[in-house]
Amino acid sequence: MTWKRLLIIGVIAIIGFVLGRLAFRAFLNLLMGGTMFGGNIL
Amino acid sequence: MSEEKKRGKGMFIFICILVFIFSFVIGIASKSFIKPDWAKKYNVAWSDDIGTRYTDISYGEGEANKFDLYLPKDNSKNNYGLVVYLHAGGFTAGDKSGDVEMLSWLCSKGYVACGINYTLRNETNNASVLTQANEIKQAIPIVIEKAKEYGYNINEMAIAGGSAGHCLAMIYAYRDAKESPVPVKLLFGAVGPSSFYAEDWDVYGFDRDTDEARKGASDLLGVMGGVELTPEMINDGSYIEKLKPISAVMWVDENTVPSVVAYGKYDKVQPFKGSQRLLETYKKYNVDYKYFECSHSGHGLQNDNKVYKEYMEAVEEYLEKYMPVEK
Repeated sequence: MTWKRLLIIGVIAIIGFVLGRLAFRAFLNLLMGGTMFGGNIL
Repeated sequence: MSEEKKRGKGMFIFICILVFIFSFVIGIASKSFIKPDWAKKYNVAWSDDIGTRYTDISYGEGEANKFDLYLPKDNSKNNYGLVVYLHAGGFTAGDKSGDVEMLSWLCSKGYVACGINYTLRNETNNASVLTQANEIKQAIPIVIEKAKEYGYNINEMAIAGGSAGHCLAMIYAYRDAKESPVPVKLLFGAVGPSSFYAEDWDVYGFDRDTDEARKGASDLLGVMGGVELTPEMINDGSYIEKLKPISAVMWVDENTVPSVVAYGKYDKVQPFKGSQRLLETYKKYNVDYKYFECSHSGHGLQNDNKVYKEYMEAVEEYLEKYMPVEK
C-alpha cells in the first residue's frame, strides 16, 4: 500500500471517529435537548 | 486500466468503507463509555473497604418502600451526617441501585449514605409526586432510627437527587425540613422540576393560550399533583394552590437550606423556565445557593462537562461547609 493510500485511510478514520461522536451527541440531544456545538469539544 | 489495478482499487475502497464504519463505531463508544478523568472521583465502586451496606430495609407497607443504607468503615464517631440521594426516572421508573456509585462516594467521604425507593407511577396505581414525596417524608425518621440501631448516631442531614429524585429532595428540604427528626443542612441536585406553573412548562406547550394546552396542563399537572384539575382552573390560575404541596419553589423562604443545583438550558423533559423561577426565588429570599446553568445541554447535562465539574466541586464545598465530617 502506498503512503498516499495510508494517508487517505488515516483521514477517513479521523472523520469516522469525529462523525461517530457527533452522531451520538445528536442522538442524546434528540432525547434530552442540547446544542450540536459548544460546551464539550465534539 | 489492467484487471489487477481495478481489483486493487476496489479492494482499497472496500478497506476505506470498513475503516470508516469501524472508526464511526469507536467514536460512538468513546462518547458513551469514556468518562472524563475528574468524574472518576465521584463514581466510586462499592467495596467492603468503604464500609458496610445494608440493602432493601423496609420503611412501609408498599412493595417499593425500601431503602439501602451505606455505613462508613469508621464507626468510632459520636455523630454522623446523613446524605439521602433519591433516584431519577421521571417518577415512573428507576431504582436506588442506579446510584450505587454516588452513594459509595458519599460513604467514602465519611457520611452515612442512603438511597430510598418510592412507589412509581404506573397504569394500575394512583402514585403521584405528592404520594412519593410523602413516602420520603415517612422514610427519613426510619432511616435515622435504623442507622442508630447499627451504631451510627445521625445528628444532621443533607438530601439530594437527580431529576425526579431532585424534585422529591427539594420538596423534603423546602416543605418538610421543619418536621425532620434532625436538622436539614443542605440540598443538592440536578434537573429536578421545582415549579408547576403551567406557563413554565413550555416544553409540553402548556404555555400556549389554547384549550388543548389547558387540557394537557390540567391532565399532566393533575396526575403529578395527585389532584383533580380542570382546564378552567388552569385558565383562572386557581390550580396553582392545589399544586403547592409538590411545588418546591413555593416553599422557599428566608429559612430555606443552602442549595446547590444544576439545570440544562435546552432541557426537553422538565422546563428550564421553572429553574429560572427557582433562581429568582433564591435571590429574593437571600438563600445561600449555587446555581449552575449548562448552556449547551438538555436534561442529561451531557454537553457541559466543565460546568458539571464545577457543580460537583460546589457540592463538595457545601458539604464540607455545612455538614463537615466529625474529626
